[in-house]
Amino acid sequence: MKSQSSLSWDIFKKAMVFAVRTTIWVLLLVLTGTTAAWSAVGCDLNDPDRDVARLFPESTGYKTVYVSIDRKGGEPLLAKIETRLGDKFRGIYETIDVPYTIYEIFTGKKKVGYIHGVNQKGQFGGIQVFVSLDLEGRIKAFYIQKMTSKYAGKLRDANFGKQFLGLTLKDFDHYDVVSQKASGKVEAIKNPAPEAEADFRAALRATKKNLVLMDEFVYLPQAVSSIPGGTQK
Amino acid sequence: MITKFQVAYKNLHRKRVRSLLTLIGIALSAWVLVSLLGFNHGYETSLNKDIDNMGFQLMIMAKGCPYEAATMMLKGGTGLKYMKESIMDDVAKEPEVEKTTPILMAAVFDPNKGESGGIAGYFGVEPKSFSEMKPFLKFRQGRWFTDENAYEAVMGYEAAELEQREVGDKILIPEKNIEFKVVGILERTGTQDDGTIFVPLRAAQKIFNRPDEITTLGIKVRKGVDSTRLEEKLYQLPNVQIVSLAQVKETIMKLISTAKVMVLSIAIIAVLIAMVGVINTILTSVWERFQEIGILKTIGAMPQDIFKLIWIETLILCTTGGVLGIILALILSRVTDLVIRHVLPYAPSGGLVLIDLKLVLITIATVLGIGLLSGLYPAWKAGRIRPLEAIRGEVGR
Repeated sequence: MKSQSSLSWDIFKKAMVFAVRTTIWVLLLVLTGTTAAWSAVGCDLNDPDRDVARLFPESTGYKTVYVSIDRKGGEPLLAKIETRLGDKFRGIYETIDVPYTIYEIFTGKKKVGYIHGVNQKGQFGGIQVFVSLDLEGRIKAFYIQKMTSKYAGKLRDANFGKQFLGLTLKDFDHYDVVSQKASGKVEAIKNPAPEAEADFRAALRATKKNLVLMDEFVYLPQAVSSIPGGTQK
Repeated sequence: MITKFQVAYKNLHRKRVRSLLTLIGIALSAWVLVSLLGFNHGYETSLNKDIDNMGFQLMIMAKGCPYEAATMMLKGGTGLKYMKESIMDDVAKEPEVEKTTPILMAAVFDPNKGESGGIAGYFGVEPKSFSEMKPFLKFRQGRWFTDENAYEAVMGYEAAELEQREVGDKILIPEKNIEFKVVGILERTGTQDDGTIFVPLRAAQKIFNRPDEITTLGIKVRKGVDSTRLEEKLYQLPNVQIVSLAQVKETIMKLISTAKVMVLSIAIIAVLIAMVGVINTILTSVWERFQEIGILKTIGAMPQDIFKLIWIETLILCTTGGVLGIILALILSRVTDLVIRHVLPYAPSGGLVLIDLKLVLITIATVLGIGLLSGLYPAWKAGRIRPLEAIRGEVGR
């Protein structure tokens, strides 16, 4: 039988081992968190309080959650997303570690939808394309937050955005982002600025990418249970 | 033969939990002390580095002109004032001046940035003199523009990331609708250069319709020269303001001095708590071994032997605790850095907690000094124990 002093010594040793392990985990979390913050740029609403109310008029509150392909599923998930998009992630900024901001929208305590934006390379600068989606993944609002182009005004016009309302990922399944061949509802989307065809195509690619990401992050059955917690306003 | 050191070690080992708790107390104090000393050292070093990274020690601007990009953006791109480029010749004549570089800041309204539009800023620079002033700027892709009139742009890391630009891509200057080709993307520097789009000075003067005008003149002062004297001379130039980065540094240091006093007070309190802990542990140990010390004296131990024995115990505790605290501080310096960065109003880039050999030695010396001082009373008390009274267990119980 152990003496009282050796028993307390054992407890002390266990506590020390626990403390050291916890410290190491905290350190790792802090260090990896810092690295991620320096590695890639995300896409956030400029003024979430104002923009959420505008893009989702029936909302009374929202919660912000952050997801990345890297943390959600790594290389296999990236490969799957690229296959579904029909194109590789390109350039030095469209990477696996980009942090995506998902705004979960609430009416009272009931979740009613999401707002999500992505960055897309445009002809003269970055394009930020946001969509608000209902719980079935149908587009309720389409918003280009930022675009640099002589014709940006036409592509950011509400009438252009209206063409996307009601569309789902299923509609974009028939749009090839590389060959730019479309059929069905996506084919019907008219470019209001033929001179800015590259930016129009970039906006379509961004929308498809946005919907594929949301499907993987939120709508697929295995995604729902694993979405991390965030801050609610 | 068993040494005094071994006896002291065995005594501490007999009461392992108490010794360990005291050790932890000392280690935590040493950690706080070395981290705070490291912060004092690191903050100033990083701030100096940040100011050196500006490339110049003095800036001349037209009176009332905002002198850095953030202010320019806050003011909505308005308020820029211009001065004649010829001011460079007047400044270059001064013997204290080593180099100068002209800058033309320009801001245009971009209606397609966000819901209500935003400001896009550009820095027109002379690639040769600007890159000489900032040799630390490294390219992630590409190079500086070679022609002063070329419609080419070099982008800071964050500007390129936001605009998703790579070398060979184009950017468009809103309002002017003029295209520039991206020829270089800089590595991240942690300074305001990261968010800046640089274009050739002559091209900027042309498209923003400011021929022979600049907004800023950066001045590098010769080493060892009194820049205050130069400042006084430059103040004689008409309608200009001088911004000395030494003044900027002084203002920031004043801002954080209150925080420094607070943290140093915490460090002193932590050290005092550890000191009381050491006195308590050693004194308790002396009382518990009262009869044992009496027996030691009976078999020939002199008061100074007992004094040394007790003092060695303090020495072991303080040295081990101090070393552990320093190791802890070195391991956790990154976390400490993040915490300080979170609470300070302004934190320069680079490591805020800088622990070097000198600081390590100072900390060990301080912990040892305070520890040995704490051990004085218990050791003296133990040395004065009278053998017979101790064996009878009558005194001090």
